Amino acid sequence: MRRETNPDERPVRGIVVVGGGSAGWIAAARIAARNATAGADATTVTLIESATQPTIGVGEGTWPTMRNTLRKIGIAETEFIRGTDAAFKQGGRFVGWTTGAADDAYYHPLNPPAGATEMDLSAHWVSLSQTRGAASFADCVDFQGALCERGLAPKLITHPEYTGLANYAYHLDAGKFATLLREYAVNRLGVRHVSGDVLGVEQSATGDIRYLKLSDGQEIAGDFFVDCSGFKGILIGGVYKVPLRGCRDVLFADRALAMQVPYPSPDAPIVCHTVATAKEAGWIWDIGLWTRRGVGYVYSSAHTTDEQAERTLRSYIGKAAQDLNARRIDINAGHRQVFWQNNCVAVGLSAGFLEPLEASALMLIEISMDAIADRLPRTRGAMDVLAKQFNSAFNHHWQRVIEFLKLHYVLTKRTDTAFWRDNVERGSIPDSLQERLGLWRTHPPAPQDFTFAREVFSWPSYQYILHGMKYPTRYAELPTTIAERQAAERLLGRATAVRSDALRRLPEHRSLLGKIREHGLQLV
Amino acid sequence: MRNIAALDPARHGSLRLRPTPDVSRLRYAQLGMTELAVACADFPICLAKDAHTGRFNLITLFSLEEPRNLFWLAEKWQATYLPEAAMTPPFFLDTGTPLGLAIDEDSPRLGNEGPPLFEEGRPTQVVSEARDRLQRVTRDIADAQMMINSFAELRLIRPLKVVLERANGTTHSIEGLYSLGSRPLAELQDDVIVDLYRRGYIAAASLMRASLNQLERLRQLHNLCSTELLGNVHVQVMEQQGR
Repeated sequence: MRRETNPDERPVRGIVVVGGGSAGWIAAARIAARNATAGADATTVTLIESATQPTIGVGEGTWPTMRNTLRKIGIAETEFIRGTDAAFKQGGRFVGWTTGAADDAYYHPLNPPAGATEMDLSAHWVSLSQTRGAASFADCVDFQGALCERGLAPKLITHPEYTGLANYAYHLDAGKFATLLREYAVNRLGVRHVSGDVLGVEQSATGDIRYLKLSDGQEIAGDFFVDCSGFKGILIGGVYKVPLRGCRDVLFADRALAMQVPYPSPDAPIVCHTVATAKEAGWIWDIGLWTRRGVGYVYSSAHTTDEQAERTLRSYIGKAAQDLNARRIDINAGHRQVFWQNNCVAVGLSAGFLEPLEASALMLIEISMDAIADRLPRTRGAMDVLAKQFNSAFNHHWQRVIEFLKLHYVLTKRTDTAFWRDNVERGSIPDSLQERLGLWRTHPPAPQDFTFAREVFSWPSYQYILHGMKYPTRYAELPTTIAERQAAERLLGRATAVRSDALRRLPEHRSLLGKIREHGLQLV
Repeated sequence: MRNIAALDPARHGSLRLRPTPDVSRLRYAQLGMTELAVACADFPICLAKDAHTGRFNLITLFSLEEPRNLFWLAEKWQATYLPEAAMTPPFFLDTGTPLGLAIDEDSPRLGNEGPPLFEEGRPTQVVSEARDRLQRVTRDIADAQMMINSFAELRLIRPLKVVLERANGTTHSIEGLYSLGSRPLAELQDDVIVDLYRRGYIAAASLMRASLNQLERLRQLHNLCSTELLGNVHVQVMEQQGR
């Protein structure tokens, strides 16, 4: 008697990634690097890159997570910096978000507050600033704002790859990044690269994708499909018809105009953080790469016209914008209701897109791939459980990113345009954010407010934004012991000492990038 | 401080060179490829990063934490060897000058002692020997650099943990030193080993690792001339670090 093979036991070996942008190549490289085994049951990774669809090429800002992602893929930091024209990013500077006055700006550094694992300095800082008129929260509990202010790099040429004196991420050229990842994935990790357009799919009775039909007649079979096909979502949307859950009622921006701005001279300083400047109907990003700046206006078409938006962008850039063309990108803010359906998971723009206010696009790709590549389903049966976990986790993550982005808007005191007035309308604020904002008047954001083990934005980020935007709190009333006050003073003293040491030792940003390009960084 | 100027008979015509350099405050010296075998009989040899390029240099240590050279005792050099790089000052190669050399005018080695640099305006043997030595040392250091670059590419370099234990029980670690990991060396592929062996790099690697025992000699020398005695020196190559 022949036993029917249990479909749940069917091994997952053939991984097919659809899409050749940053998401697709990160996905392919992470899966291949993490699941490299030899033999008959080896995992194979095939990436299908459209010959006709250009990549979007947005997402030029990363999180510090990128250092781990690159390390896991096996790319050396030197190679990455040279290959993608990367520069260091030490946080965000938010200009004009609170009042719009000339001196309205604050930093959201990538360093956590001093002693973050030991104690919360938030309340201590509030009482200090009420009694002694202390420096801003970011400057009091950390030193990174001072590095940004002076244009200093987060590390020395003698720091080994992926380490530094301060926490850091990157600004990169997304097109060059995809190329670097492709070369590495194909030449070093054995990813099969197929050029072609997906015309249709063949599905099993249960709805699983069995193979893709390409325009040239090729059929690409697989056990597991990663949809990185960009806004189109060829598989998640095209095949599975999973709708997008929009969030335009919370985040109003629906368009972006982007320009690539050359430096005035080859030795012009490179800003070591993202600058986000609030404007009448949105905000302008300004990021420095080795070769150029990337500048763009994210705006709400309900609150301004495209023509006015372009004038706003050009006036921000000034003379350098004269001969440049602006590229328009539509932002359909939101995410899929389900990311992982059957044997197909959406990663990247196919999963969703939000305005790049906190550089969440690449980060969401990375943490998606942490979940997928580090626990790649071994069997078809395991896939359903993993899919359930993934969908629940990423619905939570996207929701929290949306709320965190909204936080930047709801704390504004600006009333100069309808855009800013509409942003503080009660109906546009998610309930869970509203609820926690209430709590945070009397209690600082704390780990207990964040339920996931790996929360994308945790309490330090919330504290930087709340205090940066001068959210009125009553933390000074909180009870505190002498021992706590002494510990806090000690931590603030340590932050001050580290600041003066860092300011003395760290090199100017462009000069370090030049040295890395010339001499490279060491592995140890 | 140094005060470097192109070597010029009009300017430096009357200067003389003291035959021995003052190395009393020299804490380390860069080492050339051919010097490794002799230097390791006296000094610990390890790697340290160049502050300007981040690249590894091959160096010998003359001191642990003291601002002085422990091998300079009783006004004498108490070792069998003095690295060439310690002998080259006050001269520097400078191809942009007529004599191909520059000098540090503030060097205490220059004055009215020893043989003259110029006779009747013409450079003496002192100058040609200095230039020859500099060219030789530069080539030799470049050869060492090439070897170190191979070691770095093969991911053999590992941080060196050096912890000084004082008599009063406190400890102090010396940061920024590196050596070669024995495990990554042992795991090299056969063809790579043969290639490294033919170039003399395997022998050099063994000498470098063996020379780390000389850190104990530095401790002994320290205790000879200091009242703040060192109890122990713990030396460990951090095998686990690096990728």
